[in-house]
Amino acid sequence: MTETQAAPPAKALLLLPVLVLLGLFFISVFQLFSNGFSDDDGWSLRYFRQILSRGDYQVIFARTILSSLAVAILSVVLSYPIALLLWRRERWRNILLIVVLVPWLVSLIVRTYGWLVLLGPKGVINAMLAWTGIIEQPLPLMFNDLGIVVGLTHVLIPFAVLSILSSLLAIQSNLEEASGVLGASGWQTFRLIVLPLSLPGAFTALIVIYLASVGAIVTPIVLGGMSHQFVGSQIYQEVMYTFNLNKAAAWSICLLAVSFLSLLVLKAVERRLVGTVE
Amino acid sequence: MSPANSDHPARAANPGGGRGAIQVAAVSKAYGTTTVLAGLDLAVEAGTFVTLLGPSGCGKTTLLRLIAGFIEPSQGRITIDGRDMAGLPPQRRPIGMVFQNLALFPHFSVEENVAYGLRLRRVPADEQRRKVGTFLDLVGLGHLGGRRISQLSGGQKQRVALARSLVLEPSILLLDEPLSALDLQLRKQLQTALKEIQRELGTTFVFVTHDQEEATLMSDRIVVMSAGAIQQFGAPTQIYANPANLFVAKFIGELNEIPGRIGAVTADAVEIEGAGGRLALPAGALRGFAPQPGAACVIGLRPERIAILPQTGAADGCICLPGTVVERIALGPLLRFVIRCNDQRITAVRLAGAETGLPEPGAPCRIAFDPTDARIFAPLAAPAAASFGEKP
Repeated sequence: MTETQAAPPAKALLLLPVLVLLGLFFISVFQLFSNGFSDDDGWSLRYFRQILSRGDYQVIFARTILSSLAVAILSVVLSYPIALLLWRRERWRNILLIVVLVPWLVSLIVRTYGWLVLLGPKGVINAMLAWTGIIEQPLPLMFNDLGIVVGLTHVLIPFAVLSILSSLLAIQSNLEEASGVLGASGWQTFRLIVLPLSLPGAFTALIVIYLASVGAIVTPIVLGGMSHQFVGSQIYQEVMYTFNLNKAAAWSICLLAVSFLSLLVLKAVERRLVGTVE
Repeated sequence: MSPANSDHPARAANPGGGRGAIQVAAVSKAYGTTTVLAGLDLAVEAGTFVTLLGPSGCGKTTLLRLIAGFIEPSQGRITIDGRDMAGLPPQRRPIGMVFQNLALFPHFSVEENVAYGLRLRRVPADEQRRKVGTFLDLVGLGHLGGRRISQLSGGQKQRVALARSLVLEPSILLLDEPLSALDLQLRKQLQTALKEIQRELGTTFVFVTHDQEEATLMSDRIVVMSAGAIQQFGAPTQIYANPANLFVAKFIGELNEIPGRIGAVTADAVEIEGAGGRLALPAGALRGFAPQPGAACVIGLRPERIAILPQTGAADGCICLPGTVVERIALGPLLRFVIRCNDQRITAVRLAGAETGLPEPGAPCRIAFDPTDARIFAPLAAPAAASFGEKP
């Protein structure tokens, strides 16, 4: 042992904060599970049966999964060109990166209310369209799935830009030159070299954004309204309005299961699609 | 690897022999006000192994990239086999290139890497397979075609990069310091392999390096460059024996330098006044400058041209200077002496095994050299001196 190292008891002391945090984490998870598998009268699967059998709840699950998938795909597709631009414009990269990340400086709620102003029945977009005479009745742009997808995509897109950019930056600098000397056109080089090598980053973005979106609460509440719930906003409602903690816990466990199963499926797809890229 | 076999199918597949002559005429390259290359002229014969040699920053990689077409000259013209290359992108030039970092495609297997160019040219699949096999055999990787790039050693990656370029049968292969990242043993192996493959295929190789030993070992012709200009172009032996100036003499091989001043100059002799007195050298020893009496100069001598003699005795026709042995080091086949001679450290080498009668460290002795072995140079200009880490 060298002098710079602390004595064993002191080192063990350093573990204490971590142990406290881990302890709290496991206690709360245990609490969640014991809440979920019981009702006011003791152990019960009542809420699980209810959640899994009711048609309107199945719609909530389907909406959560499908909207999140749409958000993830839309985010990756929209941010790929942005990431390419940032990759190419080395001189402007840092400034453009700030532009991409600047929405994160504003609170999530403020940004979501911003969309309310844009998408509402009397919002900016509908007002403009009505003013130009293209429409007579306002378009339903929010309090539906469209509003949720737009709002969540806006919130989550910087993740995709960063993730794709990082895998583009990891491409060896002169692979493109090498491909050119071997006879490839710019498009062929992109399709055969750049795109496949950036797929891991794109797929990581897809998974991260999907998981973040599946657990979203604020955006579905504000832009989806009461009629278009996500699992997350449903849990919020059970806790804050109906005070049914057991049912909220059962919902949470279901959400956890959905996330976990989705992750397994997405990982399997990723392996098939980008498995050849290290 | 057995490319020495001249019946190798890669040879038959390649009509490259006889093609690949490069003409560089008055080529300059400047970025803004910085001139990287100034008025270069160079004629490379088809089928030769040419090395661009010089310290880092001398413009050798720029010249290579100009030939490749990644950049266009600010002035001048580059022609390949008589065709003007101006405005042609790399993919339209008859060249292949091996990059310093190799630039292999990490998501392809060895075979897919080599087949990449053929695939772009829509070569039929069975012909692709045949050619890839042929060229992987040529570089000695026939058994590793299915491997991933990440599963290869450094030397194997070099060979893949080589096969990937050669499979397209370019007239000219450009190599940008491809061996610089390898350890010495592997490097030596690949130097030999590269030379053999080049001889086998008859492709013109233009090889960039800053390692003079590598250049001497591999090349038919060496282009010695410094500060954006060609210092000398010639065969390695010619450059070693008759360097054009002090920079070339110091860069290729080892050189003893004895500073002095030009004394009396006649039609066939030059007198040098130095610490060792007056030395009369033949006018033929002057390299690349017109002697002005009183001007500073440097006498250059190769270590193997210096004899070590006892303090007294005859030295027929040789110039002798007294000195003291400082070091005596056995270096495998060589015996290396450092002798202090008028405050100058002079290095001399002898073949090991012939050491009888040679002095031990501390012993007084004389160094002797044939006047025709001496070369007289102008001193280095400041920027050239800096590349040897010297103050002018």
